[in-house]
Amino acid sequence: MAKISSSDLKIMRRLVSGIVGMTILLTGCASPSQENSSRLDLIKKRNELICGVSGKIPGFSFLESDGSYQGLDIDICKAFAAAIIGDSTKVQYRPLTAAERFTAIKTGDIDLLSRNTTFTLSRDSLGGNGLTFGPVVFHDGQGLMVKKDSGINSLEELANKSICVGSGTTTEQNINDAFESASLPYTPIKYQDLNQVVAGYLQGRCSAMTSDRSQLAAARSGFKNRKDHIILKDVLSKEPLAPASDGQDQKLGDAMRWVVFALISAEEQGITKSNIDKKVQLANRNPQLKPLRRFLGIDGGLGEKLGLSNDFVVKVIKTTGNYGEIYNRHLGQESEVPIPRGLNELYNKGGVHISPPFN
Amino acid sequence: MTNISISSIIIYFQKIRRNLSSNLFNTFLSLVLLLIISLVCLNTFEWLIFDANWKVVGSNLPLFAFGSFPSNEHWRPAIWIISLLVISIITLFGPKWKWLRKNLLMAWISTIPLGLYLLYGGFGLTPIMSRHWGGLTLTILLTTCSSLLSLPLGIVLALCRQSSLPLIQKLSSIYIDVMRAIPLIAVLFFGQLLIPLFLPVGIEIDRVWRAIFAFTLFVSAYIAEDIRGGLQSIPKTQIDAANSLGLNQYQIIQLVLIPQALRIALPALTNQSIGLFQNTSLMAILGLVELLGVGRSILANPEFIGQYIEVYVWLAFVYWLVCTIMAVLARHLEKRMTINPANF
Repeated sequence: MAKISSSDLKIMRRLVSGIVGMTILLTGCASPSQENSSRLDLIKKRNELICGVSGKIPGFSFLESDGSYQGLDIDICKAFAAAIIGDSTKVQYRPLTAAERFTAIKTGDIDLLSRNTTFTLSRDSLGGNGLTFGPVVFHDGQGLMVKKDSGINSLEELANKSICVGSGTTTEQNINDAFESASLPYTPIKYQDLNQVVAGYLQGRCSAMTSDRSQLAAARSGFKNRKDHIILKDVLSKEPLAPASDGQDQKLGDAMRWVVFALISAEEQGITKSNIDKKVQLANRNPQLKPLRRFLGIDGGLGEKLGLSNDFVVKVIKTTGNYGEIYNRHLGQESEVPIPRGLNELYNKGGVHISPPFN
Repeated sequence: MTNISISSIIIYFQKIRRNLSSNLFNTFLSLVLLLIISLVCLNTFEWLIFDANWKVVGSNLPLFAFGSFPSNEHWRPAIWIISLLVISIITLFGPKWKWLRKNLLMAWISTIPLGLYLLYGGFGLTPIMSRHWGGLTLTILLTTCSSLLSLPLGIVLALCRQSSLPLIQKLSSIYIDVMRAIPLIAVLFFGQLLIPLFLPVGIEIDRVWRAIFAFTLFVSAYIAEDIRGGLQSIPKTQIDAANSLGLNQYQIIQLVLIPQALRIALPALTNQSIGLFQNTSLMAILGLVELLGVGRSILANPEFIGQYIEVYVWLAFVYWLVCTIMAVLARHLEKRMTINPANF
């Protein structure tokens, strides 16, 4: 998610990516030949997964008062550790800035990146950042927040109103595009960073503020009377956030991909942290439940094909629960940063999360 | 007795009156300013005492102090910080025992290996990786290690710049000029992002050490210039005198030049170390969870969202406190060195 970092970081990132690009060019010829062994084996040998996180995003990754990391991104790391090592506590979290996250993967500083990273072509491709992305774990997108008593319910009703926005970001561009394509007039009120946008909105300088929906929700949970503000249904941009690993390492990429699919598939089948033991017993007793037996690793040897243990799904669900459980824990209605599930629902409930079959 | 004190108070008030309200306009201006100042103070105090929710600071004190250092090992960084404080107090109040005073410099230098041992562990303590270091501990570690490494490097660079050998002289001046022409943040970015790319696979320098090296390289250029100022203010005749006494090159540097140059450069060096302490906060945007970084991570905790002002006021206070301690120590040192320069 590009807008997470403050705008000064953005400039630096541009500068750094230039330098990094040049350096990669320079060191390209001398770079050592790709080892045959995958990082997956290295992680198992090390008995520890190094996971790159942000550490500064409410609901996704943040520092708890006891010094531990919590959040949706963190739970994804835990799921990987449970699948690869079999122990979700064997994770080393490395706080990374937006600028250094891709270098950290390329240099092998971290094994996996679970840091609110938007899945884009140039990041995924070999000619770009050369990463490989796992399935999307959170569909973010730019949204609008208004005061409830303003009676505004849609983008159209914001015509001729003023909107607080961070300047020089894609956010500013998106809101402009949205209003222009609907040929509605509006007044942008620009601020340097998100905190100022929030302050301007609370002081009543504008009727609405715009940012990524996850950020709006996070900002709102800091308000004194959070119930008085609503996030509109309109979504102005696509920000699919996904975990990533080195694109050269197919084995690790595959394992990452199917661990996330396991989380989603478990939700589709109604397998939760609390009923996983019963489901395993059920599958053991009933040889005719073939799909379930394959999913839980009793038949088929699917885990081995990925270089994981066959029952990796059981280990993952036992530690983090399924995708829905993870979501509700950190972003659900009862949590401190409530974000309506929207696109992040399963495909059969109006969202876009779907898992390919475990065959 | 009372008469005198009363009259002195009256004189005092007359002085104030003369200064603040010599004519009608000045009186008006004074009153308005007084009103504004008292309003600001009142509001600030009201906020500090009633409005601010200090729970965000209170319940995260261990995080601010030690970062994510394992909680059952908190005593290790605590001992280190306390020992630093104790040595500061001893230095300030000038112990009567001569042996202690003599060993004070050694004590200061030994705090760094002590700190590293306590943080890293090993030799009987549980080893702890540097990724768990954080908070004030990490900030102080960055400052002390970088300043201890950059002082000798700075001295060497300053001496090289004064050297009569053209190659050495040119090289060190190029280094100093280049370092002073690059912004610190660029040097830090280089250390954090590019060094790992240059290193062959498998060789890894810890990010804390990468930061320390980057700070050292940067600060030593400035220290070199400060010391060069000190060196240049020493009259040439002293070198001639030392030569005629039969001292060799090294003895002249060690006994005549460096002590005097250091004394002259002390205020500037203090400036550098205080600046260095504050600049370590730049590491927060480069992914180290030092004091500022911990503050930013805590602000992402849904429980404390939006309490920016409390956290930043608290951080400002901590930075102010440490900087003040450093400044007071340096002033004390200056005083002692000027009172009795022959001692040095």
